Amino acid sequence: MTDPLLDVDDVHQSYGEETVLEGISFEMERQDVKVLVGPSGSGKSTMLRCINRLTDIDDGDISLDGDSIYDLDVNDLRRQVGMVFQDFNLFAHLTALENVTLGLKRVLDYGEREAVEKAAWQLEAVGLREQADSYPAELSGGQKQRVGIARALAMDPKLMLFDEPTSALDPELIGEVLEVMRELADEGMTMLVVTHEMGFAKQAATDVLFLDDGKLVEQGPPEQLFENPEHDRTAAFLSRLTKLHGGQ
Amino acid sequence: MDPTQLLLQAGVGDWEFVWRQRQFFVDGTWLAVKLTFFSMLLGFVVGLPAGVVEAYGGRYSKGVVRPLGVVVRGTPILVIISLTYFAFGVSPAFVAATLALGVRSAAYQSQIFRGAIESVESGQMEAARAVGLSKLDAIRHVVLPQALRRSVPGFQNEFTIVLKDTSIAYAIGVAELLKRSYDLFSIQTTAALEVFLAASLIYFVLTFTVNRGIEQLHDRVAIPGGNQ
Repeated sequence: MTDPLLDVDDVHQSYGEETVLEGISFEMERQDVKVLVGPSGSGKSTMLRCINRLTDIDDGDISLDGDSIYDLDVNDLRRQVGMVFQDFNLFAHLTALENVTLGLKRVLDYGEREAVEKAAWQLEAVGLREQADSYPAELSGGQKQRVGIARALAMDPKLMLFDEPTSALDPELIGEVLEVMRELADEGMTMLVVTHEMGFAKQAATDVLFLDDGKLVEQGPPEQLFENPEHDRTAAFLSRLTKLHGGQ
Repeated sequence: MDPTQLLLQAGVGDWEFVWRQRQFFVDGTWLAVKLTFFSMLLGFVVGLPAGVVEAYGGRYSKGVVRPLGVVVRGTPILVIISLTYFAFGVSPAFVAATLALGVRSAAYQSQIFRGAIESVESGQMEAARAVGLSKLDAIRHVVLPQALRRSVPGFQNEFTIVLKDTSIAYAIGVAELLKRSYDLFSIQTTAALEVFLAASLIYFVLTFTVNRGIEQLHDRVAIPGGNQ
């Protein structure tokens, strides 16, 4: 039997006095798409940030492909785990293309030509061939986020983390980003997604994980959690979210 | 006395005197320019890393750099220059003046760069690290290119201050512009207004043109669509 791609084992995390995660455990197999939902402050983003070590955990362990992430070189871990941010965080002084080539050149040691070729291809894959030479400030929110996705994908990650990728977008721009994410899921990328987009969860997720107050309340396939949740808290939260963000 | 009165009293001969001594002024100006250039350069080479340390350094590196900056910024430039030349015996005087002005400028430039670095959104560093860049690479390729653009206005200020403060080198006998103005004034005491006006005009033209040049450079490297 092979190891799961991601094994989150009894993770505890706190900022000073404030406990954020209280014993979170879950696994992800290859090609899984898991959606993390929960009220704000429930620890969803912190959970993601623990996986690529932007935040350190206090207790428990996280393994990627059988290796504890604390046994891996931190930059090597991050190369294998792509991250997409709520606020895009595109490098403001670089064009869309250069945003993608930077990691290829500095982390994967690509030469200039190979890096440009791969980045151009990656941008085309997210529908931004025309915008390759635009600077972030010249792009719409949806385009920025697609560059953010291309930047992470170019590193050939084993796992993609999405931290509320559509929360900063105008409603009419959400669709184009979700479309790219759906395609990615269809292609078999392993994805852990924090989002309020319940339409995406229903269509693309293999599992939905409901986090509340630092604890994993419940997890299961979307139909189970939406139709027949075990806990009242889950039912109440999901029905509220579906009313707000049911769309698509 | 009222300046217009002074102007009226001053003979045309005093302007002629200044004109005849123009080469003397030019040599002093050239010295001031060299002093400015080398002290700004020293200030940059030392001040930029110091600014990076103040923004990103560990407890110990910050613990060394920060107090040094505080002490240098808290010391009058005349004291620094006198210490360098008379107490530490650095010579010739031009080198002592460059060193003193450079160290002082480094202490101020470090604050310009620290402020600019800290103004770059933390998400930029985070995104760079998330791609797998080392901290040093992230600073070099993501944070600094943005911070340097933002430090231009502060740098212009610093340049203007350093250029004018080269006149302090007068205190250790460097024959820069102000020293030469004093010399000329002592030869022809009626020409006080003309001599010092000419000197200040030269300082002004230098600061004005160089600052316009820096602004043009700033425009050329501005991030398209950006607000910096």
